[in-house]
Amino acid sequence: MNFDAYDLDAAFHDEMFLPDGMPRAHCRALFDALRRISNDDLTGMQERVTRSFSTEGITFTVYGDDEADERIIPIDCVPRIVSSADWRRIESGLSQRIDALNRFLEDVYGEARIVSDGVIPADLVRGCPQYRIEMRGVHVPHGTWIAVCGTDLVRTHDGFQVLEDNLRVPSGVSYMIANRKVVKRNLRRVYRSCRVREVEHYGSVLRETLCDLAPGGRADPCIVLLTPGVYNSAFYEHMFLAQELGAALVEGRDLLVRDGFVHMRTTEGLRRVDVIYRRIDDDFLDPLVFRPDSLLGVPGLLNAFKLGNVALANAPGTGVADDKSVYACVPDMIRYYLGEEPILANVETHLCRRPEGLEYTLDNLERLVVKRVGGSGGYGMLVGPHATPAERAAYAEQIRADPADFISQPVLALSRAPCLVQGRAEPRHVDLRPFVLRGRETRIVPGAFCRVALRRGSLVVNSSQGGGGKDLWVLED
Amino acid sequence: MLSRSAQGLYWMSRYLERAAHLCRLLELQVEALVDRPASMIHFGWRRIYASQDRRPPFEDDAGLDESDDFTLADAYTLAGDLTFERSNPESIRNCLAAGRENARQMRHCISAEMWTCLNLAWLRVRDLDIEDIWKVSPESFYARTRRDIDTFVGVAEATMYRGEGWRFMQIGRFIERAQRVTTVLLAQLATGKRMPDTDPNAGLETGPETGWVALLRTWQAFDAYRQRYSVEVRPDQALDLLVADPLLPGSLARSLETLVRELAAIGPSPNAGAGAAVERLAGRLCALIRYEWPDHPDRPALLAEARAHCLHLHDLVSAAYIDYDPGEAPVR
Repeated sequence: MNFDAYDLDAAFHDEMFLPDGMPRAHCRALFDALRRISNDDLTGMQERVTRSFSTEGITFTVYGDDEADERIIPIDCVPRIVSSADWRRIESGLSQRIDALNRFLEDVYGEARIVSDGVIPADLVRGCPQYRIEMRGVHVPHGTWIAVCGTDLVRTHDGFQVLEDNLRVPSGVSYMIANRKVVKRNLRRVYRSCRVREVEHYGSVLRETLCDLAPGGRADPCIVLLTPGVYNSAFYEHMFLAQELGAALVEGRDLLVRDGFVHMRTTEGLRRVDVIYRRIDDDFLDPLVFRPDSLLGVPGLLNAFKLGNVALANAPGTGVADDKSVYACVPDMIRYYLGEEPILANVETHLCRRPEGLEYTLDNLERLVVKRVGGSGGYGMLVGPHATPAERAAYAEQIRADPADFISQPVLALSRAPCLVQGRAEPRHVDLRPFVLRGRETRIVPGAFCRVALRRGSLVVNSSQGGGGKDLWVLED
Repeated sequence: MLSRSAQGLYWMSRYLERAAHLCRLLELQVEALVDRPASMIHFGWRRIYASQDRRPPFEDDAGLDESDDFTLADAYTLAGDLTFERSNPESIRNCLAAGRENARQMRHCISAEMWTCLNLAWLRVRDLDIEDIWKVSPESFYARTRRDIDTFVGVAEATMYRGEGWRFMQIGRFIERAQRVTTVLLAQLATGKRMPDTDPNAGLETGPETGWVALLRTWQAFDAYRQRYSVEVRPDQALDLLVADPLLPGSLARSLETLVRELAAIGPSPNAGAGAAVERLAGRLCALIRYEWPDHPDRPALLAEARAHCLHLHDLVSAAYIDYDPGEAPVR
């Protein structure tokens, strides 16, 4: 791989190179190895990697008018490396964060001290559409509301920052593992010499975590993974995780509640279910409580959950903590609940629900990224500098119409990492989504789904918007 | 296991068996296009369509022109209809797609080797059309696809855990096979009767035009026939071999025996009534072929009865293990 024409830009932190063009110390071995591989061989490797995804059926499905279209998330075969020192910081920052977020949920569905103490305004919490009034007064085992969290981190010149917490049904972990499997096969020697920490045991760590949540501490609980079904774009992941967990992959129609307990239909009769790792949104969980038109859910599920007869991971109502307005308060939560300073910084966020935030946002649209508080997947957002004046004006109208629905953040100078693009090394913007598990304790597998914006200059890494993946290597100490 | 998983594996097997079966029929049929007389080719098409319970994509039967000129053009249309037609739920492509889709949804219940094998087979067929396979040698497409499915069955045999999932796969496969054997034999007997130059007793008529040799080859039974009987094919003996011979892997008798064995190996049904009915019907079906076939005066009627039992058996298995009323079911 030839790096001679590699375009280093001082405006962005480069994951592999120092500003003077020398490889960073922890990237040296990879850099040397890559340089020894010809561009043709690398292109061949890239093709093999891509082909193996389609052969193994690691796909997401887009359903159109005609036939289902199975696509793969493009993967770039050049790994991104995170040093052990960086990882320690990420790990402790994420542990701190999930701890505070769980305490926040226990609190806002309980006494709401954080509100009465004036740290977070009541309307921010109660006015959030993800606040589930039905969950008030509910207690969950070990105070674990969020068992699985996928936190999006970016790196700028200021270090790592949390872009968002995904606390409802975060996805992408199967790609962390799939990318690793295939990249490791193709870079055998350098993989070994770099001493990369393993991620493939994620399934067993997840299983331990879910077992922690079993009602009454039941040993060897019956765990199921609840999927919306094969039409969901993350279905591959659901199937993969069910397999890794040794859990049945169920849909709502496979479950029923009898006498306050959840059961699944098996060929031998009904079998009691103890823990549900659910990959469907709150809205669809239980038509008796949430959306009555939901065909995906299980009538009576929430009641069984409240009775303590079944565990749900994540618990309903966690969305209130990853709402983009509430996100802005996470550093305050950390200080409030833990009496510590946040280890990982938040991205500066302006809430349009506040007059000063609204004014600032409207005055600086061309320099800001504006997002809907309930939005996700990179949909419905405005990237100010990349938008036309007309687009900005139209968006400003939307903001004025409902300010509380918007937040704004500065355009981040996301770090870049070398990618193989048309046979050449080119820098592309990247982020990372590590997965944090919490049962009795916090467990973090040293790795992440690294997302990359494959279009030149693009800052949007979402797979629905032209993003791809990369293997991410966390090195041993 | 989860009822829906059992159901998925059951249908996966059924669809693949169906696709393999149609591959064999079409492989022989396109071979026949090379050197068989037009009348036999038409007989072959009618038998296939009758066994698929489908009408050819022409306005009426007259569309099947019996002159040599049209035979090949017709064949192209008919083979396309049976192989790739998206609107034909039973086309080879659609059966393979359905089998593979069931596998995709249940791949946590099968071995990784099985999934890869089937997925590759599907990826190979997915973007093909009749034009692509017709250019050179269509029979090699059918042979290859059939071999892919045979390979899948072999890989399953070698790698899959013999739990309930396996049993439901076997049940699906052999119910399908039993239905196909009875259906094709009935179509053979009926189509034979309609042929203008044969008498009403036909169907069991001898002669190269009546297609018994092709039928034997459909179940890879031609060599077995020659070993068991003689080089000259007699329809009554061919029929005996395909229906009642317990040593022929594809025979009806053998399919039913496997079916009964696998059904017996599944645990008690949560719906006790349906469970008992499954057992009784499977036993009766086996007995029908084993004890009544040899001297039964009306064999087509007996085959029709067996076929009806197979259809009913499918419903009973479903009621016993899949669609049972959970309100009545025991908690295990």
